[in-house]
Amino acid sequence: MNDLSFDNWTTQLRKGLLELAVLNTIADAPLYGYEIVRRLSDVDHLVITEGTVYPILSRLNNSGLVETYLQESQEGPPRKYYRLTRRGRDDLHRMNQHWESLHHAIGSLRKERKR
Amino acid sequence: MIEMTPAAQQRLDNYLQRMRSELRGTRSVVADEVEQSVREHIEIALADAPGPIGATEVIGVLDRLGPPERWLADEDRPAWRQFMDGIRTAPDDWRLAYLAFGMFLLSMLLLPSVGAMLIIPAMIASRAYVELARDRGEPLGARRWLVYPSIAVVLAIATGLLIIGPPLPFMAWVFDHRRYDQIFDVPHSGSGRMRFMAGFGAVVFGSWWILAAAFCAAFLRSIRFVFAPLLDGLRRQHFAVLAAIGAVVAAVGAILIYYRY
Repeated sequence: MNDLSFDNWTTQLRKGLLELAVLNTIADAPLYGYEIVRRLSDVDHLVITEGTVYPILSRLNNSGLVETYLQESQEGPPRKYYRLTRRGRDDLHRMNQHWESLHHAIGSLRKERKR
Repeated sequence: MIEMTPAAQQRLDNYLQRMRSELRGTRSVVADEVEQSVREHIEIALADAPGPIGATEVIGVLDRLGPPERWLADEDRPAWRQFMDGIRTAPDDWRLAYLAFGMFLLSMLLLPSVGAMLIIPAMIASRAYVELARDRGEPLGARRWLVYPSIAVVLAIATGLLIIGPPLPFMAWVFDHRRYDQIFDVPHSGSGRMRFMAGFGAVVFGSWWILAAAFCAAFLRSIRFVFAPLLDGLRRQHFAVLAAIGAVVAAVGAILIYYRY
């Protein structure tokens, strides 16, 4: 695989996983957009351009997996918080299970190759 | 609300304008919601900077946000934008196919006068693309939908000309001649005249098809080359069939003409 193909592959992989990562970020507690972006940016290779996260949040909100509410902030204007809906929580559970099984399957293939 | 220098404000306005333009018409993403979130992001990111905030600080935040053109997943983009991006960013070997299809569409829209002239360059571009794909040993795949139409249209026109060919104007010229009935000794009765005209037409058309078949068989490779890949399966036998049909039609025509004797 040349560099161009590899870059394309990682970009596609990242785009596919970013939605899962966003949902997992707000799984434990509601967060506002900037905080979600900060946390995702701390994960190596996951977010190359921070702006990518906002259309994903909008799409998740639109499809009913997350919901938003405004909360006053001491440091400026009110902030829009994102939290999982019940449906979002169910979908996230299924997505995480699927990711686990994929990860496991790839791991098994790699082990077979090493033998 | 953060305070910015005019230069910084200008940078931000330009960026937001680009973002609005990119998000316009998206399917599952609400453009206003994204803009509101991005504005909030910029305000929080610059909240601790001493004001008025300069262009350098704003550019730093915008650089981390990245170009809005790269934010959306393909499935979120409007179909027309995907199509335009496909043309703009497609590999070189796709552009010629798009160009050929674009010329074909234009030729259909501008029929009959300008369109008729455009169909030939569209066909040449399509053929060039087919050759390119063959040279590279690549199957045309989905790209055939872009290059086949113009070749098919020119092939249909050429086939029509081959079938009708010179006989039609020749017959019109003959029957327009004032003394053709004397030259050919045409019967005076209405039915006799009709039979003669039908027979004459059949002889002329049949003879033309025999000649055309012989000509095409002689130049089979050139014809196959011009209309590849649509005529890749063309064989001399096909023209033998055309010649045979021509012979039968001409024979029937001759019988119709001389039946009265």
